Amino acid sequence: MKHKKEHIITVSVFCAFISAMLLLFILIPKSEFSELEKRNLQDFPEINFENIANGDFGNDIETYLADHMPLRDFFVSLNSYFDLLTCRNASSDIYLTKDNALTEAPGRIDEAGFTKNINTINSFAEKTDIPVDMMVVPSSGWASRNRVFGLSKDYLDSEYIDRIYSSLSKEINTVDVREIFDNPSLYYKTDHHWTSEGAFRAYEAYLKELGKDFRPENEFTVEKVQDFYGSTYSRAALWLMKSEELELWQGSGNITVTNGESEEEHKGIFYTERLKETDKYTVFLDGNHSTVRIYNPDALTEDTVLVVRDSYSNCLGGFLCESFRNVILVDLRYYKKPVSELCSVENVDNILICYSLNNFLTDQNIIWLR
Amino acid sequence: MLFSSNVFLFVFLPIVLLLYYIVPRPFRNPVLFMFSLLFYGWGEPVYLILMVATILIDYCFGVVIHSRKQKNRSAKAVLITGIAVNLLILGFFKYAGFFAEQLKIIPVFSEISVPEITLPIGISFYIFQSMSYIIDVYRNDAPVQKNPLTLGTYVTLFPQLIAGPIVRYGDVAEQLSFRKENISDFSSGVMLFIFGLAKKVLLANPMGNLWNMLQTEDGTAAAWMGICAYSLQIYFDFSGYSDMARGLGRMFGFEFLENFNYPYISKNITEFWRRWHISLSTWFKEYVYIPLGGNRKGLPRQILNILIVWSLTGLWHGASWNFVLWGMYYGVLLIIEKTVLLKILKKAPAFVGHIYSVVAVMLGWVLFYFEDTGALGEFFVKLFTPAGVSGDGLVTMLSYLPMLIISIVAATPIAKNFFIKHNDSKAVRILRISAAALLMLLSVAALASQSYNPFIYFRF
Repeated sequence: MKHKKEHIITVSVFCAFISAMLLLFILIPKSEFSELEKRNLQDFPEINFENIANGDFGNDIETYLADHMPLRDFFVSLNSYFDLLTCRNASSDIYLTKDNALTEAPGRIDEAGFTKNINTINSFAEKTDIPVDMMVVPSSGWASRNRVFGLSKDYLDSEYIDRIYSSLSKEINTVDVREIFDNPSLYYKTDHHWTSEGAFRAYEAYLKELGKDFRPENEFTVEKVQDFYGSTYSRAALWLMKSEELELWQGSGNITVTNGESEEEHKGIFYTERLKETDKYTVFLDGNHSTVRIYNPDALTEDTVLVVRDSYSNCLGGFLCESFRNVILVDLRYYKKPVSELCSVENVDNILICYSLNNFLTDQNIIWLR
Repeated sequence: MLFSSNVFLFVFLPIVLLLYYIVPRPFRNPVLFMFSLLFYGWGEPVYLILMVATILIDYCFGVVIHSRKQKNRSAKAVLITGIAVNLLILGFFKYAGFFAEQLKIIPVFSEISVPEITLPIGISFYIFQSMSYIIDVYRNDAPVQKNPLTLGTYVTLFPQLIAGPIVRYGDVAEQLSFRKENISDFSSGVMLFIFGLAKKVLLANPMGNLWNMLQTEDGTAAAWMGICAYSLQIYFDFSGYSDMARGLGRMFGFEFLENFNYPYISKNITEFWRRWHISLSTWFKEYVYIPLGGNRKGLPRQILNILIVWSLTGLWHGASWNFVLWGMYYGVLLIIEKTVLLKILKKAPAFVGHIYSVVAVMLGWVLFYFEDTGALGEFFVKLFTPAGVSGDGLVTMLSYLPMLIISIVAATPIAKNFFIKHNDSKAVRILRISAAALLMLLSVAALASQSYNPFIYFRF
């Protein structure tokens, strides 16, 4: 037989590969939760007659095997790099930039949702006597729009922000931060949020707009945390990316935080126990809660600010409390009661509506603002 | 079960290969039979009953036909009954809903309810195989199968069970009982399987994505690129599946006939259909066209025969009018080619024929894709009215251009010819094996990433 050795090698490598995968499937311990994907993995399906007869068993076992596949992370990443190599970067939802950052592809407007959101905000502002400011933060991709590796769809962030600001009623004062955020270094490289410095710049811009005092940069002590990997990293699955630093800007020392879900009082704005988790961003105010109250007896004013917000304000809140004795953050995904009532109960002095553009474009909970 | 799934690749396949090769020879067919039933029953166990019933029915028909022929009595009536029973099964499970819908148009029947039957996977393939068995026995093209288990192995053989190739009984009758597995067949089977898997996962799936994305785009160029992507998707999907089937067949010592032979390099449609889904066209030629008289009864009769065969071919692809239309479209094209066009094309430069064939086939796929006539019309309008592409659409098109070019090159025999030409060079042979190893890894990677769904709204 010709080339017998090569035949033997081909057959043995193939059989060894598929059998090794089978053995690993059986042998490796199964985890219930995927840290990178933030979801529960499929359990081994129940074996009973009904399951098998209607075909559910077959389907569930496929999901189970896919979720617990040996070397799954390696394979997923291999596929991402292959896509990148064949230039499909531009049609994915995460772009790689020349600064070695992973950034979101441009958001697109949904006209119906857009109009609904604007109308809700306008009618809210018209009914309240409290001054309302609105800040829309451009996406990290927009800041890197000229640095994307290969092709990219157009970033229309600036045009969209113009549209939002010009559609708002005159009762609402707008805080334009586009010039400040036209700077990739104010965003993480592996996450879609602004960095602590970015949040500080936004705080500074807002307080300047209000004409109130803000605590200057040099009065903070900055603690650096290593090994941060954020959301765009898990979505892109390019595991060779370097981790980055996350900064904790320490200001006043007597801050206490409570949230709408528990009675417990937390000292300081940083939940450092969260740094042990994969999703270290929750170090800022413990991540998402319906409401978060920050109390700072040493704040520059005795005023109260209420922020209608997305996750960008997890980090912003920690700065606002340097100027406001009371900061109340409201997350409309979880908070369904009238915000206007909360404002009068709490004697709110200022209302800030702060959203990142991509969240604003896709948000379906702003309609709860009343 | 699908070949391109974890369950098949990493559980089913290693186990069936191991068991197949450790059991003594007489038990090899039973092992294949049992595993084929498991393979088939994985998603829809209920229809196992239907399949086993079909096997038993055709087994009996085969035995009766054979015994009548032995006694020199006519078996024609038995054969016709056998064919009718098979067609009834196929008709009921595949076309009942479709025919009921048509009947409703007639006022008397407007009240009938349309039955909702889920199509049993692969029924179009295994019924055609079963029919080929009784016909081949009737025509003395193949011996009768006395062992129902062996016949069962033939009908259910998992490599070709779900999507072909449609293996005619006469072609494998001998292999079923006497086949000799060997390492060189096994190794070429492995290569064929991997190339087929890569065609499906690395080429067909991305082309499918592209087609899906471009369907929502306006613009003439987007429509043409879209239908080009769909043409490549359907080719790599189907021929990839056939390659995997043939590859698996070889691992178990079977040799199935080639099902696709680079159809997109054809110079005319007659040639295209000699290269596309060969096992189906052969089946219709052998069991319908030739029995109807083929080209032996004059031109008008031949034209009628062609139209009959192609309407049936269309209908075989699915219970919907657009498939019939698609079949008729080819029937008409073939008649035009037979009568005038082929002579003209022969004199023209080769590229004219290539362009004509590719465009005709792509337009054919438009008919094939859209079951809804409204959407079909809209898409044709898009193809033939000049309109610009949006910025986002252009980015999608450009970002997939490299994959599209790779796919087009992969649809030609360039690589195959290279490897055949240099098969004496050890370096080239090693290169081919390494390429297969890489493609295997990339295919598994693509499968793994299908299940990778980061829960992106965990914190917006």
